[in-house]
Amino acid sequence: MSTSAGSTALPRLRPRTRRFRIGASQAEAWLYVLPALLLFLLFELYPILANLWTSVAQAKGGPSLIRYGEAAGDPVFWLALRNSVLWVVVSIAAEIAIGFPLAVLIELGIPRGRAWFRTLLFLPMVVTPSVIALVFTTLYAPDYGLLYGVFRSLGLGGSFPAILGEPALATYGIIAVNVWQWCGFFVLMYCVGIAQLDREILDAAAIDGATGFARVRHVIWPMLRATHVSLIVLGTVQALQQFPLIYLMTQGGPANASQTLATYIFQTGFDENRMGYASMVAVVLFALALALIAVEYAIADEWWGKLRAGWLKGDAR
Amino acid sequence: MIHAGSRAPARMLIAYAVLAGACALSLLPTIYMIDISLRNAEDSFAPVLIAGHVTFANYIAVLGHGEFIRFFLNSALVAGLTVLATLLCVTALAYALSRLKLRGGSIVLLVIMSALLLPLASLLIPITVLLRTLHMTNSYLGLVGPETALGIAFGTVIVKGAMDGIPLELEEAALLDGANSFTVLVRIMAPLCRPALLVIAVWQFLFSWNEFFLALVIMSRNEMKTLPLAPLFFEGPYMADPGKLFAILTLIGVVPMLFYAVLQRWFVSGLMAGGVKG
Repeated sequence: MSTSAGSTALPRLRPRTRRFRIGASQAEAWLYVLPALLLFLLFELYPILANLWTSVAQAKGGPSLIRYGEAAGDPVFWLALRNSVLWVVVSIAAEIAIGFPLAVLIELGIPRGRAWFRTLLFLPMVVTPSVIALVFTTLYAPDYGLLYGVFRSLGLGGSFPAILGEPALATYGIIAVNVWQWCGFFVLMYCVGIAQLDREILDAAAIDGATGFARVRHVIWPMLRATHVSLIVLGTVQALQQFPLIYLMTQGGPANASQTLATYIFQTGFDENRMGYASMVAVVLFALALALIAVEYAIADEWWGKLRAGWLKGDAR
Repeated sequence: MIHAGSRAPARMLIAYAVLAGACALSLLPTIYMIDISLRNAEDSFAPVLIAGHVTFANYIAVLGHGEFIRFFLNSALVAGLTVLATLLCVTALAYALSRLKLRGGSIVLLVIMSALLLPLASLLIPITVLLRTLHMTNSYLGLVGPETALGIAFGTVIVKGAMDGIPLELEEAALLDGANSFTVLVRIMAPLCRPALLVIAVWQFLFSWNEFFLALVIMSRNEMKTLPLAPLFFEGPYMADPGKLFAILTLIGVVPMLFYAVLQRWFVSGLMAGGVKG
């Protein structure tokens, strides 16, 4: 989970040279690879190629980009694209802002009960999303939902908004549910990251006077770079593919206000049976995932470069 | 390790208070769900957390549903097969990459890993079309295949990481005794990777048990539906009777929660053991 594609692509440092190896032929080795590779080709590589082709294929004549042109003039498509980006930015920002401090408190702030807090905070992660969707629909409901009850007991019952019925609020209402579910995952991954930090460096930093907030800000936070990057990449893909919450809470409504690329693929492909158009949206979603992840890597690199320059300057002093 | 708390009890108390508050928020919707499932019809629309008048009548009513039991068994079968298939594929692949000097191995790893960057929604339509062509919609394998495929990238990272950490000396003795590559995998490598395999099993079980999007398009016949489709199925009939609907929701949600509660210790220690290197 916290293992990013980036870090695993790096060569592993081996503590010893390889003196001995299992005498298996190349053919035999490929036999072990075959089942996984077959499933990968069928259900991952083929779908991408099929989407690329279906998005340009025409009933008559050669391939054409006509559907991409159609999308440019489709306001729902732009709304869905905007919402997908919003989902990524808001979800990840909130999940890090809540998850990181909680993980620091669990790992460094309390002497006992770490496993309990990690488990209790992680529990929303394991609950079926379609179940969560209905629970939160009731929780948000005007007139009988729990949140309305809270507003009423504060004397604000009259100004309680129909969260899922307001175009301006619906998307944020559903993103909040996603954040509620995934924060525990961020907490757990940051806990794993903090537990694996080099104790000597942490202690050395404490001796140098970095304690409390300064230690978290200047030592722990930058040292968790790999965890940040993995979580951001994973969170991006997760936010982009969220479907059950939106489908069951608003069906992309009201008036397409909470539509994302994922729900729009379903709507155009299965409800409206426009497979070519849906494939085009799927290609855009795929491209968006790659583009966002590339930007995230670039930002992380730049940030890391600046940080390291700062450290070097500090050392020289 | 230096705990801020050991020097400043006040700080530690604040830390506990913040964490307890976070846990309360994290558990609140689940408590609310269970509470509604225990309400009688009169209280079921009350905008409060705990309504009182506990009754189990809703559970007795919904457990009599043949459909619900069927969905449950379908889910158990699909999740069980997905876990099994993922473990087999991932162990074999990780073994070939870690130990068998596979030519082009680093390219295979890179290609398989790229799947981590794919949002499922972008694969859904071709997968459905493919399964229709193969007459595999409304079949267990039609769901097990894609769900297994989606677990391979993450699984391979974890298991290959674990295998890379196993010292070669252990295999040498077996190989000198004339063991072949398969025996080494089954007798030595797989047992030593147990913590990593458990992480994958837990992850894939939860993924499969909760998976909604694929099930929605692949399992259209009622007798093949899995539990995540049950809320959609029962939402209409129980519109005016939320107690029964929430009894169903609780029964669906409680399985993965118990599953995780029982296995979390090994799941977390498996993650901490270094299968996951940030």
